[in-house]
Amino acid sequence: MEPMVPIPGGPFDQGSPAWVLDWLDSQDQPLPRVWFGDEAPQVTRLVRPFRIDRCPVTNAQFAEFVAASGYRTDAEVRGVGMVYTDTGWQERDKVWWRAPGGPGTSITGYEQHPVVHMSFDDAGAYARWAGKRLPTESEWEYAARGPEFRIWPWGDTWDHRLANTAELHAGPLNSLEQWQQWWHSRYARNGPMPCTTPVGELPRRGRSSAGCADMAGNVYEWTSTLSQLYQEDAVCDPTVRQALGRYRVIRGGSWMNFRYQVRCSERMHGDPGGWSSFAHGFRCAKDL
Amino acid sequence: MIKIVLPSVWTGTGTTVFAGEEGPLYEVIKRFAAGNPQFGRRLIGPDGQPLTYLNLCVDDEMIPRHLRAHTEVEAGCTVTVISPMAGG
Repeated sequence: MEPMVPIPGGPFDQGSPAWVLDWLDSQDQPLPRVWFGDEAPQVTRLVRPFRIDRCPVTNAQFAEFVAASGYRTDAEVRGVGMVYTDTGWQERDKVWWRAPGGPGTSITGYEQHPVVHMSFDDAGAYARWAGKRLPTESEWEYAARGPEFRIWPWGDTWDHRLANTAELHAGPLNSLEQWQQWWHSRYARNGPMPCTTPVGELPRRGRSSAGCADMAGNVYEWTSTLSQLYQEDAVCDPTVRQALGRYRVIRGGSWMNFRYQVRCSERMHGDPGGWSSFAHGFRCAKDL
Repeated sequence: MIKIVLPSVWTGTGTTVFAGEEGPLYEVIKRFAAGNPQFGRRLIGPDGQPLTYLNLCVDDEMIPRHLRAHTEVEAGCTVTVISPMAGG
């Protein structure tokens, strides 16, 4: 098992400076500025010293938890899990962490891949069993970039080889149409199997300054933080605003994303009421 | 009339607010999807019913799944459709 990484803590400016939103606007990417509005303005946060898993929790680790505890995940209990198909997101029967692409698929050979189909409660249950907890959003971002701002864990220059995004598999992507073309081709061959990679497998130069791997891409990661804006009058998507106070913050982006969704300061918000997908996992933290 | 608010990434234009007709919540969603087929796949499942994994707010109240079939949307209300993963 990969050791936890000690993070010394300290003050830092969480979120994205204004120039990042300007930069996103200037890039050949399809998402509107308002979509990123919840990650600004920056706010000063003090992070206490803590430890965080170097990598996301793997199938092998989660299997150990289930064998010891008899835990059943939300997807397992509900009997359905969410995957992206050739026509979009679908809930399908008997999709869960042991069958991440549905009936006929398995995690054999995927033991060191991050576990997926993890709901917020599933992640919390594992963390408690392991004597750990989920990281807060501030802890997650601090572990991903350290006290100084950087776009990606390794710096401000994109390199598709350093993160498991759709661009690792498909090459540079600049439009939803290009993404769909890649995914349809992939789906035709493999069905809705997630395109995860073994944790910590990508080049070490893609790790954060603290040494954390897979902070950009591979799986979306739950944090313990209730979704809130950094500043109440921030201009953001109105549906995101309605999720505030209800959803939990998700960080890191996943193998499904472009480079722009796997930035250290990128925020997503997930329904904590038992929902998950074939791209959702987690890592744990612990007080020092 | 009511307002229906969708995630900005669904539209491709940044437009998020649309007009709809009041009525039972599920009928509101189905009528809107029928009149705006570009959103049909995102709102309606293979069974012809609104997708249950989407969250629905009427004004500022999130409507639990088991109450949606009995929820009436009155004129002047705003229905917000929230994906299970919002933002990003």
